Amino acid sequence: MKNRNILMNILAVVIACVFLFPLYWIVINSFKLDSEIFAKIPTLWPKEFTLKAYQEQLSGLAVTLKNSIIIAIGSMLISLVLSVPAAYGLARYKVKGSKLFILIFLITQMLPASLVLTPLFLTFSKLNLLNTYLAPILSTATISIPFIILMLRPGFLSLPKELDDAARIDGCNAFTSFLRIALPICKPTVITAACFSFVYAWNDLAYSMTFNTKDTMRPMTAAIYTFMNQYGTKWNSIMAYGVLLILPSCIIFVTMQKHIVAGMTSGSVKG
Amino acid sequence: MPGKGKGMNRVIGYIFIVPAVIYMLVLIGYPIIYNWIISFQDVTTTTLGSAVRDFIGFDNYKAVFSDSTFKKSIINTFIYTVGCLIIQFSIGFLMAIFFSKKFRFSQPIRGFIVISWMLPVTVTALVFKFMFAEGNGIVNAILTNLNIIKEPIGWLLKGNTAMLVLIIANSWVGIPFNMLLITNGLNNISNDIYESASIDGANTIQKFFRITVPLLKTTILSVLVLGFVLTFKVFDLVYVMTGGGPVDATEVLSTYSYKTSFQLFQFGQGAAAANILFVCLFIVALIYLRTISKDEVM
Repeated sequence: MKNRNILMNILAVVIACVFLFPLYWIVINSFKLDSEIFAKIPTLWPKEFTLKAYQEQLSGLAVTLKNSIIIAIGSMLISLVLSVPAAYGLARYKVKGSKLFILIFLITQMLPASLVLTPLFLTFSKLNLLNTYLAPILSTATISIPFIILMLRPGFLSLPKELDDAARIDGCNAFTSFLRIALPICKPTVITAACFSFVYAWNDLAYSMTFNTKDTMRPMTAAIYTFMNQYGTKWNSIMAYGVLLILPSCIIFVTMQKHIVAGMTSGSVKG
Repeated sequence: MPGKGKGMNRVIGYIFIVPAVIYMLVLIGYPIIYNWIISFQDVTTTTLGSAVRDFIGFDNYKAVFSDSTFKKSIINTFIYTVGCLIIQFSIGFLMAIFFSKKFRFSQPIRGFIVISWMLPVTVTALVFKFMFAEGNGIVNAILTNLNIIKEPIGWLLKGNTAMLVLIIANSWVGIPFNMLLITNGLNNISNDIYESASIDGANTIQKFFRITVPLLKTTILSVLVLGFVLTFKVFDLVYVMTGGGPVDATEVLSTYSYKTSFQLFQFGQGAAAANILFVCLFIVALIYLRTISKDEVM
């Protein structure tokens, strides 16, 4: 039995190594010199650690980083303001059509960006919203809103109704009861939801690339794609950029892994 | 106040819910309808700004369907989706069972490999492109070292291997995600059932086929259908890694629609292609909704 356990642990570590290798490869190659990247035989460990690849990126980074942050935070705020109350409303109140609403969220969650790119592009162009922050902010929020609603609803459902009744007797109305009682209790999942919506907008390429064609308005995902097309083989620079792009997701994942993993299941499948 | 009546409560409920519904209807629902309209119109760069555009019937659809690249992209989308589903589901399933055993590293490692789900697909596409590069890619280096191949392979330069690399890259994200959803289903099966089966003399294989598989039926179905939808709509991965190439060997529906609209500026045809994608996804989404609503009844 003990031998079997050791074997299982070894196998698990092997699986982890295989799955984490691409991540390792991004990070380790960002510290290599050009000469080492262009060598025929790739090295598993840099012969010489250098930050050159990062320094080369710094000049162009300021603008795209700012764009990414503005888009991700803007999208996160809209998502939270709309979807947290919606999830609460769907859990706490019995309203006509709630099944239809959930259906709408389930279906819209499945539909990809490429489906609405053309019509949204035409609409945004009419409204003069192309090459503004609003276009990617508004569109990326549609990715996270259904996800967050499905993810948060079970948590709000599990709150006892008596809690709300008690709050009402103490002088809360429906809205202050939501803000002062339900929200603080569900704080961990709401924070997780915030993280998801930030990351979804941060990771977006399709919307931002289509609506914002000006270099100065593009986020990092679109910039790294353009960079790859121009300097296709400068993999150390591309990977350095990649490290900066995966950094927020990695920090969020490592610090709140349990909540994130739980949120992934409930947000994707159904609450 | 409790007692203020149901009517008041209903209004409050709507105040909470309706803004999000309206938002989704305006930014997703309306564009989908608008997309159908565009697909019957003559929309190119010259007519883009004009208020009135000519309706041209099914011309856009005819143009799209007579394009050999479009046909190729439909076939490619299905090959890609089925390939990904087989790999993701089978390996994800095996890993879910493996990590459901109790040993020291099972929980932490299972939790950690899911990180690939959170990363920008753009970066995933780039690192796999780098790993499978012909000249200095690590995959060729390993295979050459193990004497499996003599000459480095130009993975992304040939159609079949490019598709294979796309499937592998997507599975890197899909396998842990499938594992997670199946693990969730496994956890819902009570241990008592296995214990009483053991008392009745069932062996491991019998337990798997007589208990695990039947009780996981709805989980399996919903994971497969959800996987289908998530894979079928692929855009970022293909666009960044191969751009649909070489030639049109890895062109999929979403990249085809994107290129038609935003590189050839045939917005009408791009919309028509997107609508074909929509019909495929919608049918599968309906199947998915049926599966989970049955699940709810149980």
